Order: sequence, then structure tokens, then C-alpha cells
Amino acid sequence: MAACYGAGALLSLLLARWSGRLALGVSHLAAFAGAVVGLGVSLGVLLGAPGRTLTQPLPVLFPFARLSLSVDGLSAYFLFVISLVAVAAAVYGPAYLRAHSPDAALARQAAQGLALNVFLGSMAFLCCAGDALTFLFCWEGMTLASYVLVVSDDRDGENARAGLLYMVMAHGGTALLLVAFLTLTERSGAFDFAALRVAARELDPATRTTLFLLAFGGFAVKAGVVPLHVWLPRAHPAAPSHVSALMSGVMLKVAIYGILRFAFDLLAPVAGPLPFSWGWIVLFVGTTSAVLGVLYALQQHDLKRLLAFHSVENIGIILIGVGLAMILWRQEGVGDALATVALTAALLHTVNHAAFKGLLFLGAGSVLCRTHVRNMEELGGLARRMPWTAGLFLLGAVAISALPPLNGFVSEWLTFQALLAGASRFHGPAGLVIAFSAAMLALTGGLAAACFAKAFGVTFLGRPRTFHAEHAIEAPPSMIAGMVWLGALCVALGVAPGCAMRLLDAPTAELLHGPGASAVVMSQGPLILSTALMPSGTNGTAISMTMVAALLMSLTAIAWVLRRGLQRATRRVAPTWTCGMQPTTRFDYTATAFAKPLRLVFAALYHPRREVTRETAGTPYVVQRIHYAGEIVDLAETHVYHRVEREISALAQALRARSTGRIYGYIGFVLGALFVALLLLGVVYG
Amino acid sequence: MTGDRPLGLVLLEMTLLVVLGPLVTGTIQKIKARLQCRQGAGVLQPYRDLTKLLRKGTVQADTASDFFWLIPVLVLAATVAAGALVPVVRAGPPAVPLGDALLLLGLLALARFLTAVGALDAGGAFGGMGASREMTIAPLVEPVLMMVVFSTAVAAGTTELGALAAQRGTSWLLAWHAADFLGFAAMLVLLPAETGRIPVDNPDTHLELTMLHEGMLLEHSGPGLGCMMLASHTRQIVTLGLVAALFFPVGPADRAGATGLLLGTGAFAAKILVLATFLALVESSYAKLRLFRVPQYLGVGFVCALIALALRIL
Amino acid sequence: MSAETVQTIIDDLGALLLFTMILIVAAGQIYRAIYAVAAQSLLIAIAGGVLATSTGNKDLWVIAGLTLGVKATLLPWVLHLVVQRMNVRREVEPVIPVAATLALAVVVVVMSFHLSASLGSVQPAITGNALPVGIALTLLGVLVMATRKTALTQMVGLFASENGIFFTAMAVTQGMPLIIEIGVILDVILAALVMAIIVLRVGSTVAAYIADLDELRG
Repeated sequence: MAACYGAGALLSLLLARWSGRLALGVSHLAAFAGAVVGLGVSLGVLLGAPGRTLTQPLPVLFPFARLSLSVDGLSAYFLFVISLVAVAAAVYGPAYLRAHSPDAALARQAAQGLALNVFLGSMAFLCCAGDALTFLFCWEGMTLASYVLVVSDDRDGENARAGLLYMVMAHGGTALLLVAFLTLTERSGAFDFAALRVAARELDPATRTTLFLLAFGGFAVKAGVVPLHVWLPRAHPAAPSHVSALMSGVMLKVAIYGILRFAFDLLAPVAGPLPFSWGWIVLFVGTTSAVLGVLYALQQHDLKRLLAFHSVENIGIILIGVGLAMILWRQEGVGDALATVALTAALLHTVNHAAFKGLLFLGAGSVLCRTHVRNMEELGGLARRMPWTAGLFLLGAVAISALPPLNGFVSEWLTFQALLAGASRFHGPAGLVIAFSAAMLALTGGLAAACFAKAFGVTFLGRPRTFHAEHAIEAPPSMIAGMVWLGALCVALGVAPGCAMRLLDAPTAELLHGPGASAVVMSQGPLILSTALMPSGTNGTAISMTMVAALLMSLTAIAWVLRRGLQRATRRVAPTWTCGMQPTTRFDYTATAFAKPLRLVFAALYHPRREVTRETAGTPYVVQRIHYAGEIVDLAETHVYHRVEREISALAQALRARSTGRIYGYIGFVLGALFVALLLLGVVYG
Repeated sequence: MTGDRPLGLVLLEMTLLVVLGPLVTGTIQKIKARLQCRQGAGVLQPYRDLTKLLRKGTVQADTASDFFWLIPVLVLAATVAAGALVPVVRAGPPAVPLGDALLLLGLLALARFLTAVGALDAGGAFGGMGASREMTIAPLVEPVLMMVVFSTAVAAGTTELGALAAQRGTSWLLAWHAADFLGFAAMLVLLPAETGRIPVDNPDTHLELTMLHEGMLLEHSGPGLGCMMLASHTRQIVTLGLVAALFFPVGPADRAGATGLLLGTGAFAAKILVLATFLALVESSYAKLRLFRVPQYLGVGFVCALIALALRIL
Repeated sequence: MSAETVQTIIDDLGALLLFTMILIVAAGQIYRAIYAVAAQSLLIAIAGGVLATSTGNKDLWVIAGLTLGVKATLLPWVLHLVVQRMNVRREVEPVIPVAATLALAVVVVVMSFHLSASLGSVQPAITGNALPVGIALTLLGVLVMATRKTALTQMVGLFASENGIFFTAMAVTQGMPLIIEIGVILDVILAALVMAIIVLRVGSTVAAYIADLDELRG
């Protein structure tokens, strides 16, 4: 696998000298091969004998650390998720880059190919890391490669700013991670995970919680939870679409992998439940992210920014499942099965989100490369011109809105069942908080459906609003192929979730030391999803997605017959009724108008700004022109970040006044710092 | 958890719901007419409307895409599939597991999503307005429904409607917990929102400024419109059946044979009649709320459902 | 009737009382609030009757009768008269938005349940859910008084508070002294009379806003 990604990176550099197209093609082919190998390896571990861990020591690079790879159930699962989306992105990439920027410089194409392979490779190895150094190296590699990809497409300075913000925040998160990891390695004396586990057992609860919070903070920046999400809506749209699909679908999941690894594996106490605050903090953060993410997504008009905010929402949903699993694990009075259900829900939503978010980003990319317009208010009527893209985008929209019979519904169903179990187990306000969380989850599901009705409707339906939209043609077949792969995945995971449960056995069994996922969720048969024994002793609920899908298919057939009517009357075509006026594109409902009622309902959370200016001619009663400007600003940005930024700027200004510009001043400063460091060293070792 | 309702019975119940749906609408219209001191159309009028529509031809907007033809098909299929999940004549889980209350809500949400998408397809402001308003109300209804389902499911330990009804007891006497009063009140608040009736929506008007659901149906015609109307009748009776299964699970559960089925059907019809009368009375007594008052109205339902859950858990 | 039946009935009545309280908090028109508090008092009277038959306490019959006569009929009629005479705007005027008041109401209910669970030693002395529901009603009545500007709605809040106190007092299995309950009712009647007089007198020239009394400053 390393060979494939490494070869891809190198070859793309070499071949760039001759032909940009060849470099792109070969690099993406190498990425594809690497992804396929990754799929094979992960499936081998997941479906193989339980408890099997592949270990692979790496060549010794440093004298103080041994690098190694270890692929256990959890690693293999995330490797599987990465490879799935990477396959689609690799197939999609070359045609997209050719169509989107056909006149790109050779160097840029080479850089994109190189960065893509480094990105995929580092993510894959990150999940397989067996010790802290490999983990951190791959983390850095992933960040740098994605930065290169984000700024590679700089049509204006906006991408550069987005990339800078991304770098700053990612490195802030990495700093937190470094502190957490280094504290552990200092106590254990070695870098590999087994030694860290042993060292963590002797921690006192306060240190344990601090380390967890540090690690959670670091991973939360990368995962894009509110309020650390501000880089996401800027960076994800800036990257090329297949890279956006990878970043949204896969890079965020790698952060989830980190959280799970820390909470359940490295920092977990030997016996007994996890400390009280962990699960509740994660649950609270998850719920907030879910609600705020979808609320901000509703008001976006840029297709890719909308999808980026939806990633924030779905990460929130995954964190709800993770938080629940942390709360329910090893609690007395609760079987192991309930935590398994919660973790299964979270992990299943991981792969589901990767599938449908990848599909949606690839669809947005094909719209972008054909129309060169990202603002959905300038699109419209694309369903007749790009039928395949429209159909697949609709599939992704139905999946992300958690509507049956697709995969989004399955993972939300499992999350709801886990929340119900949690609510009935905890009597008192804790149970009520969990139930309120469930209500908020239902709210996000409804809001996501509203948002995608808007996104799909305004972009693909109605009349084309601009020249570009009117003259769009269907995307090239390789891009369609990439999307079809992910769409088929959505359908398969929705209609037959049993196949995914089989894959979830290894991660859940190993992490929670309990029954595997399929033993709990598939306990009544291969096609039936059922929940475990509830605390009240009764059997849980059982549904069968396959049966429902079959029922839907047969009913569709009957309804189709009904639709054709009793009489073979010809279908007449007539213009849309617009009160007798000639219909133009100005009659179509805009995206802003569609989302306006929700903007007013949630005005307390949005604080929308609105500015209406009227130009009059002569008397105030004759209005010549009305200018309307409305704006929604991310609350996190205004209240948190701008304030922090102002403080830092003020501090920097104050310090700037001190810099004298004379060299002996600086040398004196260095001497002073050295002196203080030596003093500290003496104090510490004295 | 295989139960005692064979698949054939489930499909029969589903067909029964579809067949009876227009009758419920007709009854509500008749009661409203009588309350307005007029005769009104017959109770069977919706059936005549549907047959008339099936015989007509279709007029399609010139900007509509190929999805538009499919939308009524999918919406009807989703709504009727939701009907298969409601226990009608007999309580108890079905022999083959099908779906639970969450899947029912999901299928109804799918139907609503597809209707909204279809409304945006033809272009023009009416469809957009109806779709926008409908998709504003829908996310606010879902949390309340979820809380109500939770408050009844927490005690029974399952969300599957047949099992839930069986667990709460199907003797002819209602065994309500204190929390059920508040849960039922919340459901009554939600009923007009889910079925698209006053005070949330006006089903009788065709003025674009006053309609949510009807606005999305404007561009459909002929058999397509017939499918959408049948879907809205079915949606109404499915919602009433959901209320009946959650709060009034009275009726025979274990008596097999023809008498059991007849008694069960009779009990179901009685429950639906009571709820339909309630809807008709509410429609005749109140005015339609402004769109931006509806969240406040739904907020009362949410508070009731939350306190119902609190009474159960605490 | 058995103790369990009584407890179930008290629990059910408690839920219905909470429902009427939510209606009072969320009422958009004064008439709705008045009818809701009348219904609430009727439920209190029913609760009194049930408890009277089960415990055989004659005082409870008196209390139930008084509640029925005074709080379910007379006082709402007085309020109704004042509203009609005054021709006030039918809207209640909230200080904070109704949604915020509803959210506070939920918090109050949850906290009162939590509080009564922690007062575990008192539990066997009171039938069923009456203690948490009573505390919730009292606090919610005060919430209504604190978040409304018009004097009439504040009266409604006072009546609701008193209903809450009565509910808990009636459900005490040992029985509360009659004199306390008579005293509370008299206080409420007095308050209602005073309010009616002030409103009818003052209201002939200005609207009945308690908030306007802050003009009486030095």
C-alpha cells in the first residue's frame, strides 16, 4: 500500500516535466490502486478471525523510538472508509481537473497529483499507526498535503486566506495533541501504543480527564465541531471537488478515529465506566454542532459551503453516538449491548456520511466544472441538461436527510434507539437531557431535509437563471462513474445494512470488550435490525429495511400503473401558471426566499443583519431603486474569534512598540531568554 | 420478536387504510358543512373526485424535468408503505418485522420531501412558496413527535407500534398513566400540523397566500393529482391511526377469527371517527394562524410532550 | 376506593393541572387564561372531592365546595366582567417572549420534580405526585406574575399559585387544618377585590398596567 501511494507521488513529480495530463492520470491511477489495496487489507482484518491484529514494524528511523503499524479492528474499519471514498475520488479526479481548469500550469498539476497521493497515504497510515510518532508524522503530513490541495486552485486570494486559516487552526489542534501524547510518552518512556496504554492505567482521574480534554480539543479542531469549525466552511469549498469530498468524507472521520482511540483504548481505566464528564461533554458538543451546523447550512447559497456546514452537522451526529457510548459503557444496570448499539450507530454513520457526502461533493463538482458557477442562485434547470448528475445528487440528498430507505436513515434509527435506551436507563434530569438530545436530533433531520429540498430544487429544477446554466452539458463518464460507485454504496447500505454490521463486529468488539455489532443488532436474522434488551427487560424493537424497501418497490409499481390513468390521454405541455404573465426566471423562488421563514423562526440564533436602502427620484414617493442586503454571520466567529483576534492584535501592537530595531537589543533579549531557561532547568532538576 | 400478525393481515390492514382514507376526509368535510349550517357534499365525494381525476389527461409545465412525472408515484408509495406500519384491527407485532414508529415518521418525511421537490420543479412562485412554508413547519413538528413517541416508548421499551399497543394493554378500559394526558394533549396540538388542517394550514382554499400543502399540488393534474390527493388522504388516516395506536390501544388482541377481526375493525373505526370529529370541530372553531405564530403553537405541544416525558422518567 | 386508585387519580389530575398551567403560560388572549384557570380550579375541586371520599375528612368537602364556588365560578366571572367593562386589548403583554417563558416553565417543572425527589422523607405523607405538581404550579403561577405586564394576567397567576398550594395541602394524608385553607382563600378573594377596584377606578382614564405604577416615584 505504501508502495502504491509512494509511487504515485513520485511518478507524478517526474512525469510532470513532460505532460500534465499524463502526470494527473498516473497519479490518480496510483491513488486508485492504493485505495483498492487498502480495501483489501481492511476487509481482510475485519472479516478475518476476531481479535486478529496485523502488526508491522517499520524501518528504524530514530534511535529513541520504534515505529510500527498495527491494524486492529478500529484501524481497519477507518481504513475501509478511507479507501471507499478514495476509490471514487481517484476515478473522478482526472476528468474533473481537466474540465475545471484546463489551462493549469504543469507545476500545479504535478503538485496536485503529489499532494493527493501524500494525503491519501498519510491518512491511511494514520489509521494504521501503532505508535505515537507515526501517528503524529502522518497527522502533519495529512495537514500539509491538504493545505497544498486547498490553495492549489487560487483563482482569487480567497483560497489563500482559507488555506492560512486552516493551517493556523490545524496546527493549534496539533499542538494540543502533542501535549497529550508527549505527557503520556514521558510517563511511559516509550512511544508505542501498548506502552502508552500501560502508562495510562496508573494515572489519577484528574490527569486522565485533562489529557482526554486536550486530545478531544485537538481532534475537535480537525473534526470541525462548533465552535472550532470556522475553518471548515472556508477550506472545504476552496479545494477541488474530489479533494473536498475526501476532506469532508474522510479527513473529519480520522479525527473521530483519534477520539475513539483515546477514549476507549489509550486512556480508558482498567475496569469500571469512563469518567462522568467525558461522555456528557461529547454528547453536548455533538448536539450543539448538529443543530448549529444545519442552521448555518440552511442559509448558504454556495453549494460547496452548504455541504461543508452539513459536514459539521453530521460530525455532531456521530459525536452524539460516541458520547452515548461513552456514557453507557460499563455502567451498572446496563448491559454491554447498549453501548455497542450506540457505538455501532456512530461508526455506521461514519461510513454513511463518507458515502453520501462524497457523492454530494462530487455532484457539486460536476455542476461546478460544467457551469463554473458555485452560487445556486445563478443556476437552475440543470435537471434537464445534466440528468445523471441530478439523479445522483437527489439520491445523496435523500440519504443525507435521513429518509428511508437509504443509509442515512439506518444510522439515525440506531442513534435514536440508543438514545431511547439511555433515556430509560437514567432516571432523573440526565435521562431528560438525553431525550432532549433526541428531540434536537429529530430537529436536525427535519432541517437537513428542508435544506436539501432548497439546494436540489434551486440548483437543478426550475428555469436556468444564467447563460452558464442554460448551456450546461452532462459531466464526463468517469465522473459519473465515481458518483455511481458512491450512490450504489448508499443504496446498498440502506437496503441491506447487515453487510455493514458484519464489518462493524471487529471494531465494536475490540473497543468495548463486549459482544460485536452483528451479535447485538442483527440478533434476529440477517435482514432485520433489532436493538438489544432494554433496561425495562422487554425486547427491543425490530425493523427490516429490506422488507420495507421491497414493499416500497411493489407499491411504486402499483402507483405507476395508477399514474398512467384509466385513459390513454396524451400529455399536454403548457407553460407554468404565473397569473397570466409570461413566465421568466424572475418568477422562480430563490434560495434566499426559500430559507427566509426559517431565518425568521430562528432569528435568535442567527442575528441576521439586514439593510434596505431606497433611492428616490424627486419626491420621496417615487422609488427608483431598492437595494437589499442581508447577511448571516457565524455567531462563533463574531463572539469568539473576532474578540480573540482583537486581543491578539492589540497585544501584538503593544509588543511591536518595544522592538527597537537595533541589533544589540535583540542579542540582549536572546541572552535574557537563555538565562531564564537555564534557571528553570536548574529549578526542575534541583 | 415475531408476533401474531401474519404478513397477509398487515397488507390487508394497509389496503383498508388506503380505502378508508377518503371516507375520513369526506366525513370531516360533512361535519364542517353541517356546523356551517349547510348540507355539504356527500361523505363519498372524495371517491368521486379521485375517479374523475384518474380519467383526465395531464398538463405538465414546460420547465418540469423527468422527475415530475415520478413524484406522485413515489409520494403515494411512501405514504401507503407508512400505512403498513400501523396496527389497525389487532395489536401485536407483525410476524415478519417491518418497521416501527420512527420508520413511519421517516416515510412520511420522505413523502413530504418529494412533494416539496416536485413543487419546485415546475418553477414559478406558488410551488416555491408552498414548499418553503411546508419545509419550515416540518422540522418544527418532528421534535415534538419524537418526544411523544419517546414518552410512550420509554415505558414499553419498544418503538414498534404493534408491540407498543400490545404492551399498553388492549382491554376495553383505558389504562393511562398521568404522563399520557400530556402526551395526548401534545398529539392533539400536532394533529392539525401533520394533517394540514386549520389552525396550521387551510385545506379548502386555493389562494396561494393561505396554503402550505395545497400550494405544492398546484402544478399536478389528472392522474398525478389523483395520486397526490390519495396520498394526502392516506397520510391523514395514518396519522390518526398513529394516535390511536399510541394512546387508545383498545380492542381485541388475541381473539382470532372473524369476530375478532370485525370487532377490531369496529373499534378502529370508532376511534378514527372520534378523532375526525375533533379535527372538524377544531377547524370550525378557530382561524388559521399566521405562519410565524405556528412555531409558538407547536411550542406548546413541545412543552407538553417534554413534561410528559419528565413525568415518565422522573 | 383503594389507595392505589386514589394515587392514580391524583397523578392523572396532576398531569391535567400541569396542562392547564401550560395553557395559562402560553395564552395569547386574556379570555383563554381566565378559562384555563377556571378549569384548573374545577380540577382542584374534583381532587378535593376524591380525597374527601377516600380519607373521610369532612373539611375537604368544605374546601372542595369553596374552590368550586369561589375560584371556579365567582372569581373568573369577576375577571371576565372586568375585561368586558374595561375593553382592554385582549392580548396579554409578555415581558420576555412567550417561547422564553415556556422554556423557563419547563425548567421549573423539571426542577420541582427533582426537588421533591430529594425531599424523600416527606414523600409518604403526601399522596402521589401532588408535591412536585403543587410546587410546580406555585412556581409557575409566580412566573406568570413576573412575566406579564397586565394586572389581569397577574391575577390569573395568583389564582394558579394558590391552586398549587391547595393541591399539595389537600393531598397531605394527615389533613391540613381547615383554618389555614380558609385563610388562604380569603386572602385571594381580598386580593381579587382590590385588583378589581383599582382597575375599574384607575382604568377609566389609563389602561390597567401595573407597570405604570412605577410613575409613582419621588
